[in-house]
Amino acid sequence: MCLLALCLPAAARADDSRTFFAMDTVMTVTVPGGSEALLSACEDEVRRLEALFSVTDESSEIARLNAEGRAVLSDETAALLGGALDAAALTDGALDVTLYPVVRAWGFTTGDYRVPDDGELAALLALVGWQQVTLEDGEASLPPGVMVDLGSVAKGFASDRLAALLRGSGVTSALIDLGGNIYCLGAKRNGSAWRIGVRDPDGSGEYIGVVAVTDKAVVTSGSYERFFVAKDGTVYGHIFDPATGRPAESGIVSATVIGPCGFQCDALTTALYVMGLERAEALLETLEGVDALLVDAEGELWATGGLRETFTPMGAYSAAAIHWIR
Amino acid sequence: MKRTFSNRFWAALLAAAFLLCAGAALLLWRTPGARTVARITVDGRVVREIDLTAVTAEASFTVQTPGGVNTVTVRPGGICVSEADCPDHVCVKQGWLEGGAVPIVCLPHRLVISLVSGGDGDAPDAVSG
Amino acid sequence: MQTRRLTRDAMLTSVALIIFVIEAQLPPLTSIPGIRMGLANIITVYAVFAVGAADAAVILAARILLGTIFAGSLSTLMYSAAGGCLCLLAMLALKRVLTERQMWAASVIGAAAHNAGQIAVAVAVTGTIGLLAYLPVLLASGMTAGLFTGLCAQALTKRIGGRR
Repeated sequence: MCLLALCLPAAARADDSRTFFAMDTVMTVTVPGGSEALLSACEDEVRRLEALFSVTDESSEIARLNAEGRAVLSDETAALLGGALDAAALTDGALDVTLYPVVRAWGFTTGDYRVPDDGELAALLALVGWQQVTLEDGEASLPPGVMVDLGSVAKGFASDRLAALLRGSGVTSALIDLGGNIYCLGAKRNGSAWRIGVRDPDGSGEYIGVVAVTDKAVVTSGSYERFFVAKDGTVYGHIFDPATGRPAESGIVSATVIGPCGFQCDALTTALYVMGLERAEALLETLEGVDALLVDAEGELWATGGLRETFTPMGAYSAAAIHWIR
Repeated sequence: MKRTFSNRFWAALLAAAFLLCAGAALLLWRTPGARTVARITVDGRVVREIDLTAVTAEASFTVQTPGGVNTVTVRPGGICVSEADCPDHVCVKQGWLEGGAVPIVCLPHRLVISLVSGGDGDAPDAVSG
Repeated sequence: MQTRRLTRDAMLTSVALIIFVIEAQLPPLTSIPGIRMGLANIITVYAVFAVGAADAAVILAARILLGTIFAGSLSTLMYSAAGGCLCLLAMLALKRVLTERQMWAASVIGAAAHNAGQIAVAVAVTGTIGLLAYLPVLLASGMTAGLFTGLCAQALTKRIGGRR
């Protein structure tokens, strides 16, 4: 098997792309024919946003808000926080940016993983609730102990910003990959749609299939991205259910959302993952302009009608029946 | 009286086996192939894939595993574990992985970094997830 | 002669354990995981030929368990146990077609079996088939180390006598 790989031709070198590390993940921006300066501008923009949103960087606006309970926010941070609160309302709290105290107790922020007991979780859950966040005229305030973390939506938001930056520079074709949060600007240079693989949640590195998209974001959430295994062998994923304060176990193991707004896709994938099939279906019925692809624990696929023409299942899923949601 | 073979028989057989292994080891270690994508797995699950041809400057990031933390550094065409809180630090001592088929492994953390081939004509342009 | 047998096995175990603990203190030979001299195997090879299957197994098991306590960890136990088990089985099987002057061959093949066992555990633990790429280099180094330990065991047998 290894010997076979030796015979393959060397992959073409991508000179017009840049890979860097920000927001705790690997990012690659590809602009066919793009200049170094343009790629640098993209990297700088992500780093600027990270410095505003980071929950661990003590000088960020969000860290100051968490520490002091009150802060005047920049336009970007206010827009992202406001959007996140709107998304919380839309998803009935399935996406909640005030989960931070709970996530921290589980050790997902530091890597010192542990399972908090019920009493501790109950106390922490009192601090969770997006309705507790006040945002008025760019000034946010939080009750004591409440903390926000925009990590679940920051990458989607950043991808929208990069797309706007590139469009403003006259770019008509680009691929923005912020740690698996994809934004496809325009089509490929040869005119064909971008082909985006959707990661198989079994962690094998294979794909469920490929979606063909132009001018759209493709975002996937699954617990396989970050998780820990407790001493008793239980696997705990990094996506939390705000209702229980525990890693969500809704029966959905991977949620992908495809739509024109990276932020919206990012927010919806997390929410759909937490909601479970029934609630996710109900929400998707009401949403226009976005498509979703869900994988349940039995490995069955659920998809919205917009994917009929654009989604091609592959590998272990190539013969899978797809349940169409609308 | 049990059936036995001569010393010469065993020497020839084992020398041949040794040469075969040594040859295969050299081939796997040295031969650069089309493997340009670094795949990081923890507990057998892919946690991150990085196209090393798209890396332009040296950069580091951390990978959290059930056993501890490994700091991974990439540079154009190469990847290594630069720091780890595992007991033996064998993963750090293995140095840079640049094209060979033999993965970097941190057994205490169940972390493996291997190179896989970077896409054929059928591969997607990017992977979401 | 139960006492004599017990004393002999205990002595061989402690010698193997001392060698094992001392080797564990030495810095690793290479940066490749799993490559070691495996000098404690001198005793295993000797025991297979000189004291018989059951006693050799007891000596090896005791050495692995105590070695884990003195100089290893629970995660290394799995590798030692799988490797040691395969190594012992291979040597016991080979003993049927080998003379005492061919111990080195048993040791070489035993060491290779040891490495195969280690890799099997590593593949299972990490869930990564790609680790098989390590097999050739481990086999080659294991066979070299096995040749050395086998010759040592042979010299040992010559000095203190064979089957007893």
